[in-house]
Amino acid sequence: MSTPLLEVRDLAVHFGGVKAVDGISLSLQEGSIYGVLGPNGSGKSTLLGAITRLTPATRGDILFEGRSYANVSASRVHHLGVGRTFQTVRLLEDRTVRDNVLLGADTTRKSRAEIAERADYVMELVRIHTIQKVRPSELSYGMQRRVEFARAIVSDPKILLLDEPTAGMNTNERQEITAVMRLLQTEGLTQFIIEHDVAMMVDVCDYMYAMNFGKLIAEGKPDEVVRDELVQEAYLGKRAKKHA
Amino acid sequence: MIDWYNSNSVLLQTTLTTLLLALSIQVSMRVGVFSFAGIGAFGIGGYLAAIGMTKWQLETIPAIAIGALAGAVVVFLLGLLIGKLTGLYLGMATIAFTLIVAVLAINGGELTGGASGIFGALGDITLEGVALVVLVVVALLTFTELGSLGRQLDTVREDPELANSLGISVTRYRRISFAVSGLIGGLAGGITTLTRSTITPEEVNFHLVVLALTVIVVGGSGSWVGALIGSIIFVWLPTWLDFVSEWEELIYGVLVTLAAIFLPKGILGVIRDLIHRWQSSRAKKAAGVIGPDQDPHSISIAETALPAGVGGRTPNRRPASTTKEES
Repeated sequence: MSTPLLEVRDLAVHFGGVKAVDGISLSLQEGSIYGVLGPNGSGKSTLLGAITRLTPATRGDILFEGRSYANVSASRVHHLGVGRTFQTVRLLEDRTVRDNVLLGADTTRKSRAEIAERADYVMELVRIHTIQKVRPSELSYGMQRRVEFARAIVSDPKILLLDEPTAGMNTNERQEITAVMRLLQTEGLTQFIIEHDVAMMVDVCDYMYAMNFGKLIAEGKPDEVVRDELVQEAYLGKRAKKHA
Repeated sequence: MIDWYNSNSVLLQTTLTTLLLALSIQVSMRVGVFSFAGIGAFGIGGYLAAIGMTKWQLETIPAIAIGALAGAVVVFLLGLLIGKLTGLYLGMATIAFTLIVAVLAINGGELTGGASGIFGALGDITLEGVALVVLVVVALLTFTELGSLGRQLDTVREDPELANSLGISVTRYRRISFAVSGLIGGLAGGITTLTRSTITPEEVNFHLVVLALTVIVVGGSGSWVGALIGSIIFVWLPTWLDFVSEWEELIYGVLVTLAAIFLPKGILGVIRDLIHRWQSSRAKKAAGVIGPDQDPHSISIAETALPAGVGGRTPNRRPASTTKEES
């Protein structure tokens, strides 16, 4: 098997006595869509924070293309080719949509013309090209999410980490975002999605992990993972599972 | 016009030095650092310029330059020391730094002139010269507000975690802001001192923090333009309203309170909001979005064809190794 694009080895994040992430190991190959499923508070977002180095890890190692980056600063992780979105919309309110998108490529070494061309492309991809001069505060939540998506991919990352990308969206908006994910996969972009929307995850993921209480409780093909007893228990509880 | 210029040259010069003073804290606030260390640098720059002229027999420009550079170095080192503090704690630490500069000036013996300060340090400074210095500073700051750098600095201020995730080094920009703040503060101190020919510990004190903060809060902290608006208001207000001079501190307090409540982004913020509202309205009309029924998210991704870049303009990096269909 080829070297994984991203590999996490025995990663742990402890806050005092709370083990938010406790010994997680993952291996992500290039070009696939991976998902981490888990109920609220299972440690998914903390895991994403640790992978992007925004949250300091207590122990473990993270490798990108076979090289450890567990000791580099958070701002260097982006330069490796790791893009991400956050659970909540985080845009610059006083800047236009175009400015917010361009921000994602401001630290790359590409020329202005290349960045502008790429920005035009990704804005067209997520269908925000007609509202480039509008401020985010004037847009619906779903549109703001699209702007974030465009900002995350404008730097042409090798892997995109998505923290609950469809949270707060209506059905149409969810379908549109998942359509974008599939489009990006056709371009070879590896994606790592944190979500608790089971249907969406089964729909888009090639391989899935399930987490609870900071630990991995299952992994495999999406339909296998959702049928896993421990996963059903984590979502429905023991009694509910018996009645199910 | 020439008569007006000649009769108001002192006020014009004061406006420019007040602008520099305000900019010394605006550059820090621009990157989300609540620091008043620039005011302490004002004291360092002022004293060193005065000492340079009276004790070391330096010319005007080298004396001011030494003061400005010393301000930059000291405030940069201070930034390394207290850079991990945030918000009010950082503000308090930098105010303490300013007060320490004043205490050192009082206890500096012959070098600083003690409580009575230094007299007779009159530099060869013209209004045009000060205007040129301010122009250079403003031009450099304008550069930091435009394009890529402007976006990055806005992100460092608004959302440091987001900035880090986008590859922007928050620590580096904040450290640089400390040095620039010290440089501008030192410059303001040197020019002010050599224009007045005197500096005393009383002049480098808490009231300067209040003045600079007032200028920034009322004018707007997002750009040097806000500092200019605030400087014009607070230098010229007493000349427009005679009674203000007696009630200066009260008027300042009322204006700051009103601005903090009703204009959180300062006068500049109001002007910018109006311009953006007008531009957005035009952009929406151009995009055919004129009301809630025509929300732009009616533009469907699923229902439309791929843009030219998919598999075309932007070449595929690599085919997916494992796809849903394959599995």
